[in-house]
Amino acid sequence: MATSASGPPLLAVGLNHRTAPVDVRERLALDADGVRRRLVELRRDGVMSEGFLLSTCNRVELYAVHEPGQRAVERWIETFRGPRGEPLQPYLYWLHGQDAVRHLFQVTSSLDSMVVGEPQILGQVKQAIRLAEEAGSLGRVMHRLTERSLSVAKRVRSETDIGQSTVGVGNAGVELALQIFGDLNGRRALLLGTGEMGQQVAKALLNSGLEELLVANRTYERAVELAEQTGGTPIRFERVEEYLARVDIVVGATGAPQHVLTADMVKRTMRARWYRSLFLVDLSVPRNIDPDIENIEQAFLFNVDDLREVVQAGMAAREQAARAAHALVDEEAERFVGRLVEIESGPRIGGVVRAAEQLRLAELERSAKLVESLSDAQRKQLDAMTRALVKKVLHQPLSAAREAARKGDQVALQTILSALEDET
Amino acid sequence: MERFIYIPVLFCYGTVALAHLLPSVVGKGITERARAIAGVGVAVHFVGLAVAVSWATGTTGFPEALSAAAFGVMGAYAAVSRERLASVGLLMAPLAVAMLGTSLVVPHREVAALATTPNSLWLPIHLGLMSVGLAGFALSSAVGVLYLIVRNRLKQKRLKDLRRLPSLEVLDRMQFRSMLFGFVFLTLGIGVGGAWAAVALEGTWAIDPKVLFTVVIWAWYAVALQVRVVAGWRGRLSALFSIVGFAGMIFSLVVMNFIVKGFHGYVG
Repeated sequence: MATSASGPPLLAVGLNHRTAPVDVRERLALDADGVRRRLVELRRDGVMSEGFLLSTCNRVELYAVHEPGQRAVERWIETFRGPRGEPLQPYLYWLHGQDAVRHLFQVTSSLDSMVVGEPQILGQVKQAIRLAEEAGSLGRVMHRLTERSLSVAKRVRSETDIGQSTVGVGNAGVELALQIFGDLNGRRALLLGTGEMGQQVAKALLNSGLEELLVANRTYERAVELAEQTGGTPIRFERVEEYLARVDIVVGATGAPQHVLTADMVKRTMRARWYRSLFLVDLSVPRNIDPDIENIEQAFLFNVDDLREVVQAGMAAREQAARAAHALVDEEAERFVGRLVEIESGPRIGGVVRAAEQLRLAELERSAKLVESLSDAQRKQLDAMTRALVKKVLHQPLSAAREAARKGDQVALQTILSALEDET
Repeated sequence: MERFIYIPVLFCYGTVALAHLLPSVVGKGITERARAIAGVGVAVHFVGLAVAVSWATGTTGFPEALSAAAFGVMGAYAAVSRERLASVGLLMAPLAVAMLGTSLVVPHREVAALATTPNSLWLPIHLGLMSVGLAGFALSSAVGVLYLIVRNRLKQKRLKDLRRLPSLEVLDRMQFRSMLFGFVFLTLGIGVGGAWAAVALEGTWAIDPKVLFTVVIWAWYAVALQVRVVAGWRGRLSALFSIVGFAGMIFSLVVMNFIVKGFHGYVG
């Protein structure tokens, strides 16, 4: 693996939920103490000059500036084994330079998370940075990199809609419920039947703060069973109408061939409900909830197709947001590496300029006799002329070198600088 | 001359209105600070009103009443405009701009009654209570309109981008509370106005058309609150009550003052 001669040799190596199963990840996961200890070791043993470790339940990653070479990191990793004594190599990804930077930016911005857009990862990265600071393993480059990754994550969060869209039928149901009720505190839901999608919606509602879930089914035993699984309360099917006055949400998911909830039933309970809004989701086909219920002012009825639309809109929004976020991260990674290389190659460019100046002075020295024969004004003129000449000759290659450095084009940068160093 | 102080106020309100109407044109920096900008405008506006009512004795008239109403509307906006509820600004900020803008261009017209009555502390109190009441009703009707929008979109299953708007429940609650708030201040304002008129005009005021119209509006809101509390007329019905009531208030504030030649009207 070639490392760039100019920018600092940045490396990201690790495994995540996509490359390694949980029994491998759990073996490598580190607690705060472990992270600090490892970081101190890595620097003491000369594996890296600076770096930090990110250890979460979905990933274990080392970000390092690996001087002198990658071999040291490889040897260090060979000391670890999988749960069956196997080497870790097949689970690992090795990323260098701009790819490593991009990966860190993606991780911090939650683009590499199992649930894209989930907010916890940012806190975990911050924790990793803190631990590295405590272990004294962050140097000039890593300070810059970690700081930048946090602000990139902030940009992604504020400039794209990542983490705001809905995926899954359950979440779509919750989203609609929240649009009606604001929050689910103190709200009750009634689940009719045991259909799979109905269960998903009921579970999602419970996870979002629903106060109570009532479960009704033709066969009472099945209702009891499902209620136990979900943490709900079973009720007898014959008493559904009675309970209608007490619930805010009805989820229909029976296999019945006809309407089990009619418009008349809902109408009768409206006064007892004091005309509070009633949110109904019908997930069964054929439908279980009379579509005429929609004509009751306070009732908001959604069927399977409506929910699917919410899900699809959510997925489309998420994909779009993810595309925008990836573009933003790519741009940031490129800019970061460009800046880094520019800073690193700055001294070499300065060296070229200084060498050229020395060359000019040496040439003037060589023609000392000629120079002496000139008048003061002429001497000044000659000096200015040679200066301008050197500047003009160097102008184009140096600006090309700066441009290459900014773009992170290592090959071009090396070629130009080496050529110039040979010349001067 | 003190109208000059309203120019920066109008600029603030106009910026807020644009932030809501054309967020992409105005840019994120401003749309995110709309509430603070409104707050600055309201603070300066308050100073301007205080100066107009207290120092410029005997010159309080139609422009000041409109300006005070705009002040109330923007104050209410600044008070509630958090997170998704900020969308009330879509209706309230342009309304405030229209009212304040009008107050700056209409010729000064004095209240008929004030021409013969010495100015006193009654005026700022009456004006203040009425504009706070009006602010409550403005908020209630703006929230009511939002309620109808969200309700229609839920009923028609037009669910795209719905999450930018507040939930039905929040809107319904806010619509009720601000209506109740407006009602309390309207009642106090009418009471103070009535007491003042009784003292200053010695009983000839009750048949004034504007006063009668205002009492009708008061009764309208009283009914709206009553049916909501005792009969459960919430949601859409309550929102419609509120919107119609506010339309009546604006009518009373602007049109009645010109058509009707009572003591409460303005003289040219």
